Amino acid sequence: MSRRDLDRTLEFVRSLEHAKSADAICAAMLKTVSRFGIRHILAGTIPTPRSTRKQQEAHVLLHDWPQAWWDRYFSNGYLFVDPAIKHVLNDTRPFLWSELDPLCHDDPAAARVMNEASEFQLKQGFTVSLMTLDDTSAGFSFAGEKFDLAPEHHGMLQLLATYALGRTLIVEEPLQVPLTPRERDVLRWAAEGKTDWEIGIILHISEHTSDKMLRLVRQKLTASNRAHAIAKAIRFGIID
Amino acid sequence: MIHIVTAENRDQFTEQLEQAYRLRHTVFVDEMKWEELRKPDGREIDQFDDERALHMLYVRDGIVLGYQRMLPTIRAHLLSDVMPELCDDDRPSGPDIWEWTRYCVARAHRERGRALSPIANALLSGIVEWGLQCGVNRIIIEMDPIWLLRLVQLHFRVTPLGLPKRIGGSDIVAVVAAFDERTLNRLREMRGDHSTVLVEESQSKTVSA
Repeated sequence: MSRRDLDRTLEFVRSLEHAKSADAICAAMLKTVSRFGIRHILAGTIPTPRSTRKQQEAHVLLHDWPQAWWDRYFSNGYLFVDPAIKHVLNDTRPFLWSELDPLCHDDPAAARVMNEASEFQLKQGFTVSLMTLDDTSAGFSFAGEKFDLAPEHHGMLQLLATYALGRTLIVEEPLQVPLTPRERDVLRWAAEGKTDWEIGIILHISEHTSDKMLRLVRQKLTASNRAHAIAKAIRFGIID
Repeated sequence: MIHIVTAENRDQFTEQLEQAYRLRHTVFVDEMKWEELRKPDGREIDQFDDERALHMLYVRDGIVLGYQRMLPTIRAHLLSDVMPELCDDDRPSGPDIWEWTRYCVARAHRERGRALSPIANALLSGIVEWGLQCGVNRIIIEMDPIWLLRLVQLHFRVTPLGLPKRIGGSDIVAVVAAFDERTLNRLREMRGDHSTVLVEESQSKTVSA
């Protein structure tokens, strides 16, 4: 039992190596967890109090969430009364949404969020608390109409959530300044092992210009040398 | 800076090693309540603190502020003898794999709210620098799964050896984490300092060992 779950977890971790975007990570995750009755996932860092709707939405890193519920949730500012969010900020252990019932008893606003969620195919849920390298709290929620989830699967979901978020933070690491098409061309040829002189000939620019562009690319990618810049660009999916 | 203390040079570090055992007791027994480790003399020492253990001490002005212990996996260690139930897969072992245990930083130096305290970063960098010098490229860790994401973000390639289990009131997962130059660069980038964290003398000691 445990061994099979571990194998599925390892298989998922391996499949992430090929996932180059948040959407691909989402799809891989849903494929792995659908056997538990999980149909929707949402993961993100927790916004600070009083952030705007736009800011809240920008904190979402991965999602396959019912659109109607998304709109309702963010337009009504539910995030600030959501008991699952409070729990993530206070406790590092993963939890079933049913464990939030005590929190909802004396908090009508919290109870309302959970009740309404259940009308949007989010009857049952499980949330994993995570902590990023810069000490930001993050949550990874799994939800569906009817779970078929044994307690021993909780640890598996915790691992899956961790790897999925870790991969997302790597592939989605934002570039401060995007590369121009010309800079991408230069980088692509550098990745092919061409020298500045050769790149100059291929792209009809001077050797000096090629060198200058690659220096700028290194800055934009915060890379310490040419090889590092190429490695990062491939990781971000900027070049193949 | 980090001193590496082994059977070969422990005579020069008698006093610091004493401090390290007391730091371990303070953190693991007094703070984390691992009562089974409690010792009447306030020094947390177990059966693995023998001549094969490798201690890494973060020392500033003669005071030990951080500590971790590396154990070779080719003989008894925690995963093989104390918590074998955490490993559902084949247990990795070999001269290039060591087990990382008893990692701790003195409370006043943890600097909550910061990404990774300078001492925590130095200790991790210490493992990677030492490993790259000595042909060690993987470490076995038993830890709360909450730390896993940070290791992944630090470019450790972490493979779980089992699913998390509840032991003595905490969730624990066993993993094997591979590292390379990329990991070291990442740690150094975060520290904003590309110099070595290992004290010169212990570098030559381990290389010749």
